[in-house]
Amino acid sequence: MNVPRPFNLVAELTYRCPLRCVYCSNPIEYSEFREDLDAPTWTRVFSEAADLGVLHVGLTGGEPSLREDLEEIVQGAASAQLYPHLVTAGNTLSAERLAALCDEGLKSVQLSIQDSQREASDRIAGVTAFDEKLRFAQAVKELGLPLSLNVPLHRDNLSRVEELISLAHSLGAHRIELANTQYHGWALLNRGALLPSKSQLRAADTAVAEGRRRFPDLEILFVLPDYYSDRPKPCMGGWAQKNIVIPPHGVVLPCHAAGEITGLEFWKVTEHSLADCWARSPGMNAYRGQAWLPEPCRSCPDRERDFGGCRCQAFALTGDSGATDPACSLSPQHEIVLEARRLAESEQDRTLIHRGPSRVATGS
Amino acid sequence: MSWNAEEFESRLRRVGEERYHHLHPFNLRMHDGTLTRAEIQIWVRNRYYYQTRIPIKDGLILAKAQDPDFRREWIQRIYDHDGHRAGEGGLELWLALGEAVGLDRADVASLVEILPGVRRACDDYVEFVDSHDLLESVASSLTEMFAGDIMTTRIAAFEQHYPWVRTEGLEYFRTRTVQAPRDASQGLAFVVEHARTAEDQKRCVAALERKCQILWNLLDGVEASSAHPQLSPHAIWREDPQEGTLVVLPERAVKINPTGREILNLCDGTRSSLDVTAILKERHPEISGIGSDIHDFLDEMRRLGVTQYAK
Repeated sequence: MNVPRPFNLVAELTYRCPLRCVYCSNPIEYSEFREDLDAPTWTRVFSEAADLGVLHVGLTGGEPSLREDLEEIVQGAASAQLYPHLVTAGNTLSAERLAALCDEGLKSVQLSIQDSQREASDRIAGVTAFDEKLRFAQAVKELGLPLSLNVPLHRDNLSRVEELISLAHSLGAHRIELANTQYHGWALLNRGALLPSKSQLRAADTAVAEGRRRFPDLEILFVLPDYYSDRPKPCMGGWAQKNIVIPPHGVVLPCHAAGEITGLEFWKVTEHSLADCWARSPGMNAYRGQAWLPEPCRSCPDRERDFGGCRCQAFALTGDSGATDPACSLSPQHEIVLEARRLAESEQDRTLIHRGPSRVATGS
Repeated sequence: MSWNAEEFESRLRRVGEERYHHLHPFNLRMHDGTLTRAEIQIWVRNRYYYQTRIPIKDGLILAKAQDPDFRREWIQRIYDHDGHRAGEGGLELWLALGEAVGLDRADVASLVEILPGVRRACDDYVEFVDSHDLLESVASSLTEMFAGDIMTTRIAAFEQHYPWVRTEGLEYFRTRTVQAPRDASQGLAFVVEHARTAEDQKRCVAALERKCQILWNLLDGVEASSAHPQLSPHAIWREDPQEGTLVVLPERAVKINPTGREILNLCDGTRSSLDVTAILKERHPEISGIGSDIHDFLDEMRRLGVTQYAK
């Protein structure tokens, strides 16, 4: 098989996080994973990634700044000639430490924000963090680093898209990612409370169009939930095509949720070279290309665009990671998604469960 | 609750007070007398593209109207711009302005080298009118309410600050001081009469805001030519064995061909886009239409974050 070139590496340095967001895409049982990769190992991985053609590395988590050796890790990424990008919650990273990371070669920062309003933001995060996040954004700009915001959207904050865009503009961000929550991990547990209604999405779409007119220099990425599109999303640009994700225990995955799929064998960078993990591990090759496609995908012209959709979603919703993504209206199991949409239009219990070592409902 | 006629009109006027392009930095400089000759020329050349869109826009509005009285009155706008015969009308007067500021008439009329931001703004206007109903289309034309004043300011500014512009070239502005208020009163009367519900009135206010934004964007597009592009401090050059030359930025990498590299090498923050174009025209006289290509390229590079404007 022709092995594609990866362009992007997502380094999940730790699953520890001060936030307890109800839509976290980390594994539900995240506390069972160990952090096996020390800074020298990450540095080796970065250098191997550069050799494979990777250009960008996203340093993320959990919360990457909880790693005490983050400086060394950033330095490793920069010395491998990668473009290091930090994805952070912002509230545990001081301006001084950020400046030190910048000296080590950090090139850009993405800050997660849960809402445009303090109370709502802290309610989703499960901790008090909003004001510290805004201070952090200011520190990023003072250092002259490019800042992007990332805001997962759901039924409780969709009505504030306009405010979120204004916030991004006033913080000096060059880009805001307004991505509707993807229902993996904790988000799937909380789907009933998070999935928006169709009319909410339409209103948000209008607010985004208006935001683009008002702030032509602000790049606004708006990702609709695939539960409301006719065809599935082209997840990660195709399984094991462009992106490598390495969670804290060092297993090389095609996306951040693929480790949840049981029965697939992925390899660890502590046991194999990154090139082998990427090119030869059975898990990476399981859904690479089109040979594995089931019907109706196999004969569908849209397979060139969406590659049969998301494997992790197929697994989470149907138990079969080789099935057509149920988000597709042509999937024989599309009813699962239609049922979730019907629930989103109806009155129901919308209690939220915060991310944590045990699943405790904390009320909404 | 809908507004009464007086309140509605004052809401519309407020849009102009707050958002009309008389507040745009380029117009402020024009009226202060601090634009250079080259900047005046680039404005006249590019604004001509807007002038050519006006009769097309008015044709679209005519095509939406059911009422013969409305059409009979509105069609006057097309005659104002196109004249009743060749050699008359507003477009003709604008070409005369072009000559008065030292541009070649045929060159202006050919619409070559229209700046991409200006083209986008003007095309947005036609597209807006094409895709909205008669009420919103007419409301979007209400910037005419504010045009009379700006024309008066402009004539005085040109006479005082730009004496090198021959005075007969200002005839377009003079005719608009009369035409714009007349047109505006027709448009305003129509909008006030036909926007009956609160929702209709809000659509009209939004349409007028949108139009102000379009005029604003047009001047942003003009300013882009005198801005001094430089490579973003966040950009890193990479020679890639497979892809060739890349610029790596946050969230993206952009492939740059050798011509692009040549253009970007000139973008050091000391040269304006026009300077860069002039240098490359001299260097490559064999390539026709190179100016438009360079403007398009620089526009794209800025949009992608490869370049930014020097302060």
